Amino acid sequence: MPHSGDDRKRRFERLALPHLDAAYNLARWLAGNPADAEDVVQEAYLRAYRYFDAFQGGNFRVWLLTIVRNSFANWVRENRSARMMFVPETPVAETADRDETMWGTSPRDPEALLLDSLDSQMLERLMQQLPSDYREVLLLREVEDLSYKEIATVTDVPIGTVMSRLARARLALRRLWLTETAQEGADGL
Amino acid sequence: MDCEHAAPWLPLLLDRELPIWRRLRLGRHVAGCPTCAGRLDELQTMRTAMKVQLPYHRAPPGLATRILSSLPREMAPQPVRPWFRIPAFALAGTSLGGALAGGALVLLVQSRTAEGPRGTAIADVIDSHIGSMMAEHLTDVRTSDQHTVKPWLSAHVDVSPPVRELAPEGFPLIGGRVAYIDGHQAAAVVYRHDKHVINLFAWASPGNPDVPMHTTTRQGFNVISWRAGGIEYFAVSDLEADQLERFARLVAG
Repeated sequence: MPHSGDDRKRRFERLALPHLDAAYNLARWLAGNPADAEDVVQEAYLRAYRYFDAFQGGNFRVWLLTIVRNSFANWVRENRSARMMFVPETPVAETADRDETMWGTSPRDPEALLLDSLDSQMLERLMQQLPSDYREVLLLREVEDLSYKEIATVTDVPIGTVMSRLARARLALRRLWLTETAQEGADGL
Repeated sequence: MDCEHAAPWLPLLLDRELPIWRRLRLGRHVAGCPTCAGRLDELQTMRTAMKVQLPYHRAPPGLATRILSSLPREMAPQPVRPWFRIPAFALAGTSLGGALAGGALVLLVQSRTAEGPRGTAIADVIDSHIGSMMAEHLTDVRTSDQHTVKPWLSAHVDVSPPVRELAPEGFPLIGGRVAYIDGHQAAAVVYRHDKHVINLFAWASPGNPDVPMHTTTRQGFNVISWRAGGIEYFAVSDLEADQLERFARLVAG
């Protein structure tokens, strides 16, 4: 039996609104500012509502985040002349890290990452320095707790690419972190 | 297991993406290895920092209301094909997700014993495939020239698998390396298809009869195995099964 318009809307509200923060946070990190993030989320929710009937169960958050990401990609295409925060592929970073493993085969550096050594603003700044596909995979894994398979769905790349991209993203963040804290130490002296 | 082999797997351990026997084996190594324990700590520290210290941008107040008021009141029937992709597995029941994941682990463990040596080989080829990508150690000899890869493999492994030029068919050759599968030294011939890496493993299995191709799926990877002319073959990739089967048929010639 077909749902009435109000039924449909209530069902959508019940499923989609609990994920509004997750949707907004992803959009905010992708777009880089609140105004654009809000546009992207509004558009994503409208699309999600329009194609709600295509959702046949499963993880609604993953489905919704996929739409947020697609809406963002669309938004970038339509606003090509505007600020470009998003670079889908980052060949420079990908090749720069290609020959390195997470720690290399050499003995581990003497420094270690210490949680106390980095505050919120520093971490935010480091994340913003990362290529957007690294930032995205880290957010989806560490903040949104998505599995590799779910990240592959949202970002539309093979699961093997998710694994190697995540490894490189962690390596890049670790390196920035160590540089940052070494700098702090030097400034402190 | 030594550190060099353990290191690429530590992120997967942290991310709970390893089958249970792998987790146990790696856990034993980490317990006795301060270096790897330190690496794992660092990964955990980065995670904690991102969870605790990274600003989480909550939706501004009023956004929910604005969204709801912008939704059209009546919906016309929608086209069958939306503009975005809906991957099939995203639609698999998540309310059952936890239970399914648990079930999958059990199945993997059982199949490892039930399938005997073949189950072990499948687990090992997936390990080697993931390991080769995580450690960025895809090839020992990196060249798209089959006349370089084949003699190199022949010199290093006791099997000489066919190394074909499949670039015109969409599978460019990347190179080769030596792998260890189920206690055998094996040749790994590496191909690519778009963004997908394909590892083709081959090792000698003298005197055993031919076995037709068989496809299985584990941990998001497809594995096709067959035996021909006294050589055991395993092709593994995150490529779609039908594409990987096309690849296997091209290799088997």
